[in-house]
Amino acid sequence: MADEQRDGSLPLARILFPKIGALPLGTLLTKALRDLAKRQPNLFDRLGEHKSACFFVDPTDLSFAFLVVPDGERSLVRVVGKSETSSAAVFISGPILMLLGLLDGSLDGDALFFRRIVSIGGRTEAVLALRNAIDDAELRPADLLGLHGALGRLADNAILGSLRAARRLACRGLDQGERS
Amino acid sequence: MELICPAGTPATLRAAVVAGADAVYCGFRNETNARNFPGLNFSTAELAEGVRFAHDHGKKVLVAINTFAQPGRVDLWHKAVDEAAQCGADAVIAADLAVLDHAANCHPGLRLHLSVQAAASTPEAVKFYVDAFRVRRVVLPRVLSVQEIAALNRMIDVETEAFVFGGLCVMVEGRCYLSSYATGKSPNLSGVCSPPEHVTYEDDAEGTAARLAGFTIDRYAQSQPTGYPTLCKGRFTAGGKTSYLFEDPVSLNAGGVLAGLKAAGVTALKIEGRQRGKAYVTEVVRAFRRAVDAVEAGGDAAEIDRILAGMSEGGRQTEGAYKKTWR
Ligand code: SF4
Repeated sequence: MADEQRDGSLPLARILFPKIGALPLGTLLTKALRDLAKRQPNLFDRLGEHKSACFFVDPTDLSFAFLVVPDGERSLVRVVGKSETSSAAVFISGPILMLLGLLDGSLDGDALFFRRIVSIGGRTEAVLALRNAIDDAELRPADLLGLHGALGRLADNAILGSLRAARRLACRGLDQGERS
Repeated sequence: MELICPAGTPATLRAAVVAGADAVYCGFRNETNARNFPGLNFSTAELAEGVRFAHDHGKKVLVAINTFAQPGRVDLWHKAVDEAAQCGADAVIAADLAVLDHAANCHPGLRLHLSVQAAASTPEAVKFYVDAFRVRRVVLPRVLSVQEIAALNRMIDVETEAFVFGGLCVMVEGRCYLSSYATGKSPNLSGVCSPPEHVTYEDDAEGTAARLAGFTIDRYAQSQPTGYPTLCKGRFTAGGKTSYLFEDPVSLNAGGVLAGLKAAGVTALKIEGRQRGKAYVTEVVRAFRRAVDAVEAGGDAAEIDRILAGMSEGGRQTEGAYKKTWR
């Protein structure tokens, strides 16, 4: 079993998220997060004092990382290089499909962390606050993309369907890796 | 037997109800409850909404106000009881005498459950709480065997609730000072054991060190699963020997004694884990729903084992004190 499949990631992730350089993903995600804060302000309440913390989110199977400040309508997302960690207070890394599974609440973050599929560093209480806020938010891809109605449902079905299929493959790879 | 399930957020409450809980227990976003972690717990409005959702589905909500009130700040605990009552909670779970007294006097119609934190394990202690505060159910400390629970139930006239799954707190309930000693915060007064703001994970050449307030609680090789540095589950060197000094890092799975607990007269079975995520709670509640239904229908031990087989999370499990072989 290849290493990348043993840790729950897949080459497929690279196909889904090709190398895109620094722009304009950061700008798009910043706008999406701010729009989300306008629609669901309570969602960010759970972060409390930690909403001003800078989270370095590193999808290990992609060539770039994100710096995220989840501060409601002042939220900021930047696409950065893997070494641009100096302003971060919190570090989260793992295969992109697993990180997305945490976002939609379909995967158990504790299990992923204790099995070392996702790793964290820095302020543990901020990671916990983020985990709990996301777990309660029940985010759908359409929420992040700012899509509503039929278009939103279409995007959710398509994206969640492909993610479920990709994760099934990745988890099968993981289980086989653990048995071997 | 009723299945009592944990919820740290409104989304988890809804998930637990849908997955088969008979009742969900939760707490407010402050130190009045024993899972006072960042980003967890309910505002008053969220609790009211959660109670509405549960009642619409024919289920109950129990509110844990189960820490000990701090001197000079008892009002915060009283307010929590008042708000739980206003939200239409089906019961309050409490341990502190002042909290129980306030609930019994100011909300005579509100059902009271005695928290595990009160550590009531004798008929005399249970009768005191029943006589003084009209407590209707006692959550049993995790130190009793199934036989001892059966004997206790024969001597008391109140419902009992037993933990069946999740993390174990190994000290006499409500009286552990380990976390206070290391971090200044305790589950008893601050509602949090081994608080996350004191937790760090540090990688070095030997693997990962999990630390609490600068104390190394355990080390893990790169190939090993890690754990949360809860103080009592750590590995320490004493008397020249390195071991899990207080308790092995095992969690409770009493699936094998569900039928025994039913025969012992237990009314309700409790799953620990308000700090756990929605995906975990959903999976555990679903499995225990099927297991409890199978026990109620007279299913045998092999069937229960099969239903709960996937519930180990890769970690080690114990039947705790229920079988009295536990260290
Ligand atoms: S240190 Fe262990 S025994 Fe003490 S309160 Fe925490 S979990 Fe319970």
